Amino acid sequence: MLDVSRVQKELVECNRDKQISGVSILLHDGSHDLSHLTGSISGPVSSPYEGGTFTIDIRLPSGYPFEPPKMQFVTKVWHPNISSQNGAICLDILKDQWSPALTLKTALLSLQALLSAPAPDDPQDAVVAQQYLRDYPKFVSTARHWTEAFAKITSLGIEEKVQRLVEMGFPEDLVRSTLKSVNGDENLALEKLCSG
Amino acid sequence: MALDDDYASSSDLEEEDYYLSDQEEDAVEEDVLHGLEDDHIEECRWSESSVITKESLLAAQREDLRKVMDLLAVNEHHARTLLMHYRWDVERIFELLDQKGRDRLFSEAGVTLHKSNISLTVTVTCIICFEEVSPHASTEMDCGHRFCNDCWTGHFIVKINEGLSRRIKCMAPKCNTICDESVVRALVSVDHPDLAEKFDRYLLESYIEDNNTVKWCPSVPNCGNAIRVKGDAICEVECTCGMQFCFACLQEAHSPCSCLMWDLWMKKCRDESETVNWITVNTKPCPKCHKPVDKNGGCNLVVCICGQAFCWLCGAATGREHTWSNINGHSCGRFTEDQTKRTEDARKNLYRYMHYHNRYKAHIDSMKQEATLKETIQAKIAASENKDSSKIKDYSWVTNGLVRLFRSRRVLSYSYPFAYYMFSDEIFKDEMTPMERELRQNLFEEQQQQLEFNIEKLSGDLETNFHDISDEKIIETMGRVINTSAIVDGLCKKMGLFVITAYIGI
Repeated sequence: MLDVSRVQKELVECNRDKQISGVSILLHDGSHDLSHLTGSISGPVSSPYEGGTFTIDIRLPSGYPFEPPKMQFVTKVWHPNISSQNGAICLDILKDQWSPALTLKTALLSLQALLSAPAPDDPQDAVVAQQYLRDYPKFVSTARHWTEAFAKITSLGIEEKVQRLVEMGFPEDLVRSTLKSVNGDENLALEKLCSG
Repeated sequence: MALDDDYASSSDLEEEDYYLSDQEEDAVEEDVLHGLEDDHIEECRWSESSVITKESLLAAQREDLRKVMDLLAVNEHHARTLLMHYRWDVERIFELLDQKGRDRLFSEAGVTLHKSNISLTVTVTCIICFEEVSPHASTEMDCGHRFCNDCWTGHFIVKINEGLSRRIKCMAPKCNTICDESVVRALVSVDHPDLAEKFDRYLLESYIEDNNTVKWCPSVPNCGNAIRVKGDAICEVECTCGMQFCFACLQEAHSPCSCLMWDLWMKKCRDESETVNWITVNTKPCPKCHKPVDKNGGCNLVVCICGQAFCWLCGAATGREHTWSNINGHSCGRFTEDQTKRTEDARKNLYRYMHYHNRYKAHIDSMKQEATLKETIQAKIAASENKDSSKIKDYSWVTNGLVRLFRSRRVLSYSYPFAYYMFSDEIFKDEMTPMERELRQNLFEEQQQQLEFNIEKLSGDLETNFHDISDEKIIETMGRVINTSAIVDGLCKKMGLFVITAYIGI
């Protein structure tokens, strides 16, 4: 059975210093299901991911915290240990090295550390890993480009999108939260708004 | 044949022996039988082994635990953790104790011998569930990490269900300590006695699964026994359920073939690749419907059942107008050596395979027939034992002979796949010169023939209707059976030696 009280405490604890740590966790889509969360981490300084905000889908198995949480990047990211196709993560503490004494916050911090220090010898995405090893400058420029394209929500852009969607007849606060959950992708947000 | 002479002379001697008084006769017989039994252990590729049943598993494990507990002065839990880590190899633990020293030996296996004796009086915060708990509702592991009992239990349950009972580590990150089995048992059994049972079973079975010298018997339906070998782990063993298997690859016993040869042979026999070869050698595909067409005589213009005519020489579609020597509007006189050679090779390989496979199959079939012999012979023995007119009561030589027959028949049968691979270009191309190969092949085939000859003889003698014949004749037969058994055994052993020298490292 999912330890609800622990998850609640973790959420409070994690979001208390999110300005300093750069990681935060929210309930997924504003629902009340504690087993489905959305994490976000800011790209580490002096890495190709600097300035980006990366969204991570978090699912807690019923055995949590004795079983590791399942995490996956929603934001597309160019990194040897993260699949460029589906965002799957290759990180030992999310697998056999998980310890119940670790928390969602420590896991997200580990992901942040992974972003600044890739481990190309244990790759999730072979293509990226090969590029990292053979042509590092090209890797850096691709990663930076992906960060620009997928991980940045420009405030100017967002306001225009909000306005367009509000004009279509959706309430503003719902539009904002939906846009945030899909990382500013207007089309995806529209799809969600229409289906939800 | 040299061996034939040997056989005749020794047989004469034995027969002389048997015309002694009754008492001496018995003594001689026992001697011979005894000798045969001792032989059993030394037989080629049959290392000494023992069977571990469900009942004796616990005792076998206890014995090893006791040794480690006594030598290292540790408790049962630590002894078990060490043994699991070092694959139940007691000798190796003692060796490593010298090389690495006690501390490293222990830490590598996840054994920590530290226990704080501070008795807590205030409440503690469990860093897993963030709850305040009283000291007696929490437990400290050997490594000094303390968590509340509820969290420990949750952790244990997940690990047991994941099948990781044997290596449940402490919950602290990067802590390598293996949790105390008594703590696990005590905490889990409070609410989940079934899981505690499962945990115990996993620990027990670790003795077999984490152990290089013990393996489960692969019999189907499974007998639940395990076999422990002493010495070389590349050997064949027999379980009390009757299953004989190769300890290395867990397939049925396959000597004299190596595991690789046997695997290749079984695959080859299974997918009938040679049938495909035959088709490529002897047929050509129709250019229209692509069915394989074989030529049943006549000229080079062949007609497929679909009605398409084509040239047998080049396989191209043609018209039907033709004479004996040419087809209207078609010419393909160019000679391609490459193609002819390929066809030749395929044909040669096929005949080679068929040669070995036929003999292999023939002996397998004999073996199947002889399997039915077992029951008829037992019936015969029972009849003979109850016969008042006969003085001979001991017929164990018959069953012994039968066991020899089965085993050697199998060795003989499997010696054909062995020869197929051993003397082909495939596996051992660079290992020996053609001259060497020929020499070895001759030697091997000589032994094979001797073995075959003696096996047939043994088989014939065992089929004697000994409940119908006089005691004298029975004694004669017995002499022959015992003698031939010994010869067959010797030959199997020789073949084993041959095999060992031939494929070292394969």
